[in-house]
Amino acid sequence: MIKLQSNDNHQIDVEKPVAECSLLIKNMLEDLGEAAVGQTIPIPNVTEPVLRKVIEWCEHHRHDPPSTNEDESDNRKKTTDIDEWDQKFMQVDQEMLFEIILASNYLDIKPLLDVGCKTVANMIKGKSPEEIRKTFNITNDFTPDEEEQIRRENEWAEDR
Amino acid sequence: MSTYRRSMHPATVPRTSILSTLQATSIIETKTALPAEILVAILDYLPVRDLLRFARTSSRMREMVYDDTRWVARLKSMGLWNEAEARKRFDEAMKRKRDAAARASVHSASGSVSGRQGSTTIFDATVEEERRAKQAAQASEAKIDGFETLSLTPAQPKSPFEDPTALLDVIKNAKSVRGHAREEYGKIYGALAPFYFDLARAKSHTEPIVFKVFRDPERQARMLSNLQTFSKSDWADGWLEREGRLTNMLSIFESAVLREFEQGYEFWDVDGRMRRYAHVLHFLNGGSAAMDLFIQKHPIFNDREALGNPRDCINKAAHDEINLEPSRIFFELLSRKLNEQSDIIGRMFPDAAAVFWTFVDKVREDIIMEYATPLLDETHDRNMTSYLKAVSGLFEQCMQFVRTLEPPKGSTGTLEDHAKEISLRVFEPHLDLYLQEELDHFLKHAEHEVDDWEQKLSEQEATVESFYMGNFNRQVDKNDFLTSFKKVVMMPVTVIPNAFGSSRPTSTMSTNSTGTLRPPSTPGSSSRPHSPAVSGTLERSGSPLPSEAPNDELKAKAALMANRLEGIRGLFSIEVALNLVHTAKTSLGRAAKFIRLGGQAGEEAREQCEALFVALLKVLGQKHVKNGFTKAVDHLSRYNPREISDHSQTGVAPLVMFIELVNVGDIISQMIDVFYEQQLAAPKIADRNDFMDPAGLAKKKFEQMLDENVAAGLNKGIDVLMDEVEYLCATTQLPTDYNPLPQSQETGVMKNQDIGPTNTAKRITDLVSSHIKMLTGSTEKTMLDVFNSEVGLRLFTAICKHIKRQRVSTEGAIKLIADTTMYFEYIRTLKNPDLLAYFKALRELSQIYLIDARDAKDMATIIADGDRFGGIFRAEEVYEFAERRADWYQVKRDVERAMYGLECCVM
Repeated sequence: MIKLQSNDNHQIDVEKPVAECSLLIKNMLEDLGEAAVGQTIPIPNVTEPVLRKVIEWCEHHRHDPPSTNEDESDNRKKTTDIDEWDQKFMQVDQEMLFEIILASNYLDIKPLLDVGCKTVANMIKGKSPEEIRKTFNITNDFTPDEEEQIRRENEWAEDR
Repeated sequence: MSTYRRSMHPATVPRTSILSTLQATSIIETKTALPAEILVAILDYLPVRDLLRFARTSSRMREMVYDDTRWVARLKSMGLWNEAEARKRFDEAMKRKRDAAARASVHSASGSVSGRQGSTTIFDATVEEERRAKQAAQASEAKIDGFETLSLTPAQPKSPFEDPTALLDVIKNAKSVRGHAREEYGKIYGALAPFYFDLARAKSHTEPIVFKVFRDPERQARMLSNLQTFSKSDWADGWLEREGRLTNMLSIFESAVLREFEQGYEFWDVDGRMRRYAHVLHFLNGGSAAMDLFIQKHPIFNDREALGNPRDCINKAAHDEINLEPSRIFFELLSRKLNEQSDIIGRMFPDAAAVFWTFVDKVREDIIMEYATPLLDETHDRNMTSYLKAVSGLFEQCMQFVRTLEPPKGSTGTLEDHAKEISLRVFEPHLDLYLQEELDHFLKHAEHEVDDWEQKLSEQEATVESFYMGNFNRQVDKNDFLTSFKKVVMMPVTVIPNAFGSSRPTSTMSTNSTGTLRPPSTPGSSSRPHSPAVSGTLERSGSPLPSEAPNDELKAKAALMANRLEGIRGLFSIEVALNLVHTAKTSLGRAAKFIRLGGQAGEEAREQCEALFVALLKVLGQKHVKNGFTKAVDHLSRYNPREISDHSQTGVAPLVMFIELVNVGDIISQMIDVFYEQQLAAPKIADRNDFMDPAGLAKKKFEQMLDENVAAGLNKGIDVLMDEVEYLCATTQLPTDYNPLPQSQETGVMKNQDIGPTNTAKRITDLVSSHIKMLTGSTEKTMLDVFNSEVGLRLFTAICKHIKRQRVSTEGAIKLIADTTMYFEYIRTLKNPDLLAYFKALRELSQIYLIDARDAKDMATIIADGDRFGGIFRAEEVYEFAERRADWYQVKRDVERAMYGLECCVM
């Protein structure tokens, strides 16, 4: 069992194989060796609810085969559909979704990060720029002319 | 997005310290935001349309989306990005920029330099645009002089379906320009995406707009091919399904076209439907389907029988032989047919060369291998010799066959390469077996040859052995022999059956050579069953094939040599050696053909060639030559001069025999050397400089073995020679030689006038000189020198011993002096100064017998005078010699007195 300590000082006990979904923790344990036994590992960037969520994901995916290190080789390989469980898992509010993505990025859990990114991508899909801005809280710093210019530049990508 | 604000933040906060910055940041961090690297990752999952909408949200997002690498990746996925081209363009643009800047600075040195430098961009848009405009003018693709204008130009059709032809080339026209990958991709996307998504949505295969816009199959095929390429750049959610639909559509289209092609095939409509649909399929996906169909259904594979039956090669030949004429006809026929097909393929297929070689490969697999394999298997079962001939013969024919092919234009690789590849494929399954069999066959043959010969020998053992004593010049003869040998070795081994001659001499050789062994000098003593071979040789030399001439010459020489070397026919035979070398050469020649294949097979063949050579040396060396030497040495050691009744000959029979043996050994060694140089080193089978090379090692070992045996034999030979010398001394030297009877002095005045050396001395000199002469040039010079000096020394000892046994009178001294002078003269011819000193001393010494009894004092001086004898004899020894004086007892007192008196003085 590994003890993890969240940002807000909550301790969560996790089985070692589950915790090792996180490459960050895995590498850390490897580096520390025996010294790590019984120690509490602080996860300073992640709050308790998020950490619990992440661990839930790790529990479910603990038997997944480790991803091979060919992430950059082919764009297509990583674009697989999100499986049903993950889709449900990701049905959280946007704040939480972003927190999960950040946490998985910090903890270095690549598959979870991918799922998160895909979910965000799906949120963007089909939206107009204005809707996207609203969703992601982006300030429009274009003048109307500029915006029109970009629209025309990329008209080829719009359905005709 | 909040990230944006965050990045702006540090600028607004006064930079007091890092800590305060951190604190300020952490306050804002509580609001969830996604860092840029995650945003980039998210963008990767977006379809192109949404991606570009995302770009419109803010300038930061636009920057992220417009990032060139993102679009280069898409172009790369379609295989349309050429890094080299991009770099070239970039460099050119930079150069132009520099030139312009240089010009500008020259024109206006104090001008607005800063303004110009500020405008340095990596990509020179104006130049690129000009270039594009030029291209656009040339192509039908009108007025697309830059991506920005694409959507602005009213002439540009809103829907790409209205200008279909331009779309076909959109992929081909893609350029690799740094900084403009997005625009290039946009062009392709604009042209193809509508078709692509339409196709992905289509429910039936008649519905897609592709088939409505393009009516003829050629353009449909090209468009579909484009779409397939395009689909590679689609990795947004759901691409798998879209691609599946596209692939499905492609295969439906392909099978429809293929059906048309097949129908054309049935009517053999080469220039019409077949040609047309082959091209359609080529546009679609390279046309491999049409090629497969064409080859699969080709009639040539159905009437295989018409090309020839492999069994003809066996049936048409004599028993246990093989006739490769039918196979030659087979290959010729096949070559003609293939060349016809080459023409047809050239007319029908756009990439004719590839189709042709695939076709040839199929022919190789289905026809040539079907032909060769049963033939080889059959011959392998029947007869090894014909199998070996068949393999190399067919191989050569196969190479030749490919060389005669006339592939359609645009063929890659030389015919020779194709020949190698095809032949390798055909013979790969046989190669290992063949090489092994070749070696086994040779070994078997060689061992058989040697055994056979040994058996014949043992049958003759009972008959009287006669030794032919050669007084001829061996050096010349050997050189003569070796030149003809070299000629024969240099002759190429031909395995193609139209030159029957070269493969046959091996067999005729063996029969003939045993015949020619019959020596004309000893017609009675030989009991060989063969008829005189002179006629046989003549018959062979009458053969019409000129290539046989050197062979015959060699054979004649071999026979001559054999006659002269008759003396050693009981030990080993040069014919057998020659024969073995010949067989090895044929085998090697056959196996060496495969070296040309190169690669692993070639290497194996090369190793096997070396193995052949090693085997040759082993059989020849270990079995044949070594046995001979052992026997000869054995003979030598058993030699006892007293048991031989006839000493009239000037030779010690076993020694003569042995020396002949050394000569033959030398010839064989030189033969092997020539063989190695010509057959192994020259064609690069063996590396002369590689001291680990097995062939080189074997050769060295062989030579070493020969040298060792020669040395051992010579050692024995010296013993034997000295035995003979001593025997001669003991038996022929008359006591009166050196001590003539007083009465003879009175009666035989005539005899006394003959003051030449005695008979014994003459014979000894003859004996030694004849043996030493025989060795000249037969073995290593250093070894000969050692041998000579050893013989000389032993001779010296023997003579000394002999003289000490004689009684010499003053009258006889003249004879003794003559003898010693003769020895001296002889030794001088050996050109060995050390040795000469001994005999000089001996000559000096013999003079003490000449001294008259009255001059005993002088005699004593001479005896004591060590310098006189060059330190060879000590005074005591000389004294011993002096004792042999006939009148010793008369002079002894005087001499001793003089000596001891002198000695006192000395002391």
